[in-house]
Amino acid sequence: MPSSDFLQQVGLPHYLILSAILFVAGMAGVLLRRNAMVILMSVELMLNAVNLSFVAFSHYLGQMDGQVMVFFVMTIAAAEVSVGLAILVSIFKRFKEINIRFFEHLKG
Amino acid sequence: MTQQTLMAILILSPLVGFLINGVRYKKHSAEVAGAIATGAAVISFISALIMVIDLVGMPAEERRITVQFFDWITIEKLKISAGFTLDQISAIMVLVVTGVGSLIHLFSIGYMRHDKGVAKYFSYLNLFLFNMLLLVLGDNLLVMFVGWEGVGLCSYLLIGFWFTDKEKAAAGMKAFITNRVGDAAFLLGMFVLFLTFGTLNFQEINHMVPLTSELMWMAPITLGTLFLFIGATGKSAQIPLYVWLPDAMAGPTPVSALIHAATMVTAGVYMIIRLNPLFMMAPNTMMVIAIIGGLTAVLAATIGMTQWDIKKVLAYSTVSQLGYMFLACGVGAFGAALFHLMTHAFFKALMFLGSGSVIHAMHEEQDIRKMGGLKKHLPYTHATFFVGWLAIIGAPLLSGFFSKDEILWQSFHSPRGHVLFWIMGVLGAVMTAFYMTRLMALTFWGKSRVSKDVHPHESPMIMLIPLIVLAILSAVGGWIGIPHIISEILPGQPGNILETWLEPLIKAVPGTEAGEPSQEWALMATSVTLAAISAFVAFHFYVKDPAKPKKVAESLGKVYEVVYNKYFVDEAYFGWIINPLVKLSKGIWYYVDVNFIDKTTYVVADLVRGGGQFVRGMQNGNIQQYAMYIGLGVVAMMTYVLMR
Amino acid sequence: MSADVFLFWFLAILTLAGGLTTVLVTNPIYSALALAFAMIGVSALFVTLNAYFLAGVQLIVYAGAVTVLFVMVLMMFDLKHEITAFTRGKFTGLVKSGTVALLAGILVGAIAMTSDLFLKISGTPEVALGGGDGTKELGKILFSKYIFGFEALGILLLIVAIGAVALARSKGGTHAKQ
Repeated sequence: MPSSDFLQQVGLPHYLILSAILFVAGMAGVLLRRNAMVILMSVELMLNAVNLSFVAFSHYLGQMDGQVMVFFVMTIAAAEVSVGLAILVSIFKRFKEINIRFFEHLKG
Repeated sequence: MTQQTLMAILILSPLVGFLINGVRYKKHSAEVAGAIATGAAVISFISALIMVIDLVGMPAEERRITVQFFDWITIEKLKISAGFTLDQISAIMVLVVTGVGSLIHLFSIGYMRHDKGVAKYFSYLNLFLFNMLLLVLGDNLLVMFVGWEGVGLCSYLLIGFWFTDKEKAAAGMKAFITNRVGDAAFLLGMFVLFLTFGTLNFQEINHMVPLTSELMWMAPITLGTLFLFIGATGKSAQIPLYVWLPDAMAGPTPVSALIHAATMVTAGVYMIIRLNPLFMMAPNTMMVIAIIGGLTAVLAATIGMTQWDIKKVLAYSTVSQLGYMFLACGVGAFGAALFHLMTHAFFKALMFLGSGSVIHAMHEEQDIRKMGGLKKHLPYTHATFFVGWLAIIGAPLLSGFFSKDEILWQSFHSPRGHVLFWIMGVLGAVMTAFYMTRLMALTFWGKSRVSKDVHPHESPMIMLIPLIVLAILSAVGGWIGIPHIISEILPGQPGNILETWLEPLIKAVPGTEAGEPSQEWALMATSVTLAAISAFVAFHFYVKDPAKPKKVAESLGKVYEVVYNKYFVDEAYFGWIINPLVKLSKGIWYYVDVNFIDKTTYVVADLVRGGGQFVRGMQNGNIQQYAMYIGLGVVAMMTYVLMR
Repeated sequence: MSADVFLFWFLAILTLAGGLTTVLVTNPIYSALALAFAMIGVSALFVTLNAYFLAGVQLIVYAGAVTVLFVMVLMMFDLKHEITAFTRGKFTGLVKSGTVALLAGILVGAIAMTSDLFLKISGTPEVALGGGDGTKELGKILFSKYIFGFEALGILLLIVAIGAVALARSKGGTHAKQ
C-alpha cells in the first residue's frame, strides 16, 4: 500500500486493523497463558477490540446501531467478568490453585 | 353350500384342528385331542365326498371343480394363484387321503393314549393332512410344491416324534434331508418347465403338450420331467433316495401307516399321473422311470425277505410296491398306477395298523423272532391282517389282485413296455408273496416264541374298527377296476369303472393295439400260480420246518450277508457322500469363515476402535486446546470465504 | 501530519502496547495494570470517533469497575509463587502461535484488500446524527428500536448479581470438605 498515504490519512481501515491486532493479541493470551485470571483479562481485551471496531463502523457509516451494540457488549462483558471471577473464587477456595493445567477434568 | 365354501372347508378343516391342538397341546388329553383331530379329518372327508358326488353328476368332459382363492404371486410372466382343482384324478386321491386318514386318526386315539405328547401328535397329524390336501388339490406345481414341502416337514416332525431318543431324531433328520435332495431336483424341474411353457398350471401345461410334438421340444421336456422324477424318487422312496423310509419306522406306527404307506409316499406317483400328457411326450424319461421302478420293486423285496423287525418288513414292502406304481407310470399305464395306489393304501395301511395292534399287545416288542402263535391271542387283528396279506400277495378277487395284475399286463403289453419289465414284476410278486407269508407265519402262526413275561391282549374297539373297515375295503375295493377280460365273463358285464372315470384325463398310450385275451389270461395265470407256490414254500419253511430257512441262509452265506445288510447302501452313502461333505463343510468353515470372514469383522472392529481412540486423544481436558480448535476453525472458514 | 492523525497514531501505539503487555508479562498484577492502560487507550479512541457517551461509559465500567474487580480478586489469591505462565508443550505452543498469527494475517489482509472500499467512506464524514452529540441519538434509538434488548439486559444484570453472590457464598462445590 502507498505508505505515505496510509500514514497521512486516518480512515476506517486503520481502526479496523488496530482492532484486529488487539483481538488477535487477546486470542493469543487465551490460548497461551496458564493463569486463569490472565485468560479472563485476555478475553476482556478481545471484547474491547470488538467494541472498537463497532464504534469505528458506526462512525464511518453514519449509523448509531454500532454504538448500541457496544452498549450491549459492554454490559454483558461486565456481567460476565463478575460471574467469571465469582467462579474463579470458588475454584480457588476448593483447589487452592488457578493454574489451568490442573483442571483437566473434562479429559476422555 | 357353494363349491368355494366346500373346498375351503375341505382344505382348512385339518388346519383348524392343527391350530386348536397345537395351541393347547399341554392341556388336552388323548381323547379330547384325538376327537378334535379325527373330527377335522372326518369333516374333510365328508366335504370331499359331497364334492365328488357333485362331480359324478357332471358330464364326463367337464368333470372339474376349480376354486381360485386369491392371487398369490404376480411377477411379470409368473402368475400363480392359490387355486385348487377337484377333477377325476384328484377326487380319488382326496377320498383315499381323507378316508384312510380319518381311520388312522381314530386308531391313533387308542394307540397313543398313554403318550405324554399326545396333543402335539394329533396337531402334527392334522398339519400333515392339511399339507397333503394342498399337494393333492393344488392346481399348479407351486402350490403342490408347498404341500410337498409341508408333508416333508410333518414327516420329519412325526418320525422324530420321540426325539429324546437320538436314533429316532436322527431318523427324522435323515428323512428330511433325503427329501430335500429330491426337492432340489423338483425345483429344477419346475424351473425348466416354466421356461418351456411359461406357466406352472397343470391344466395349461397339459393342454399345451399336444402342440409340442416337434422334435425340438424333446430336450427341455425330457430334462424337466427327469428332474421332476428325481424329486419323486425322494418323496416316494425309490432308488437312489429310498434310504429314509426303513429308518422312518422309528416313528409311531399310525404315522408309518398314514405317511409312509398310504399318502405321502404316493405323492411322487400322483404328481406323475397329474402330468401324464407331459410325461408321455418324453419316452426317454418314461424308460428311466420304468427301469428304476422295476429295479426298486425287486431290490426292496429281496431286502424285505431278510428283515426281522415287523415294521421294517412292511417298510421294504412299501418301497417295493411303490416301485410297481412307478413301473406302471413308466410304461404308460397311469390309470393302473392310480388304481394300485388306492388298493395299496387300503391294504398297507391295514397291515401297518395291524402291526401297531400287535406291537401294542406285545408291549412295544417289534422283533418277529419273539412272536409267533399270536392267532389265538389277537383274533381280530389276525383276521384283518389275513385279509391284508391275501390282498398284497395278489390272491384272486381281492383288491391287490386286480391292481397288480393290471400293472403286470400293461408292463408286458404297452407299446412302451417290455417283457423284461414283466419279468421284473413277476419276480417282485413272487418275493412279495414269500416275505409276506413269512411275516404272517412268524407273527401269527406256528408255535409261540413269546417270552414268558409278555401277555398279549387284544386291542380295544377303537383300534379295531379302523382295521375292520380297511379290511373290507381291501377285499372289495378292487371291484371298481375289473379288467375287461374278467368283466366279460361276469354276469352283467360291469366293465372297468375306474378306467371310464379316468378316461378324459388319462388316455391310452398311442400305438396300443387290442390285447389278445388268451395272452392276458396266460400271463395272469402264470403270475398267480408262481405267487401261490412262493407263498406255499414260505408257509412250509416258517411254520412246518423252522430249521430249513436257517440252513438256506447259511448255504447262501455271503449273499445273505449282503442282502441282510441292505446291500450296504447306507454305508456307501455315508462313506462316499455324507462324510466327504461334512469334511468339506468343516474345512470351509475353518478356512473361510473363521479365518477370513471373522477376521474381516475383527479388523473392521479394530479399525473403528482405533479410530475412536485416536479421536479420543483430542479430548484431553485442556480447554486452551479446545479454544485453539475453535480458532483453527475460524481461520479455515475465513480462508474459504475470502478465497471465493 | 494533522493533529487528529497524530492523535490516532499515538493512541494506537499506546493501546497496542497495553494489550501486548497484558498478554506477555508473567506477573498477573502487571497484566491487570496493562489492561487498565489499554482500556483507557480505547476510551480515548472512542473520543476521536465522536462516541463521547461510550467513551465515558468505557472509562467508568471497564477501566473503573472491571479492572478494580480483577485487582481485588488477584489480591485475594495471594499467589506466592511464579506459576508457569505459558503453555506447556513446545509443539502445541507453536501450533497455537501459528493459529494466532494466521488469523492475524487473514484479518489484516482482508481489511487491506478491501481498503479502497473503505477509503471511499473515510476521512471525517459529517456525523449526520446531531453533530458532536451522538448521545441524544443513541438514547433515542436505544429506547425505540432496541428496547427489548435493553430490558432484557436489565434482567440479565439482576440474575448476574444474584448468581455472583450465590457463587461467592458457596463453600467450594460438591466435593468440598465441609
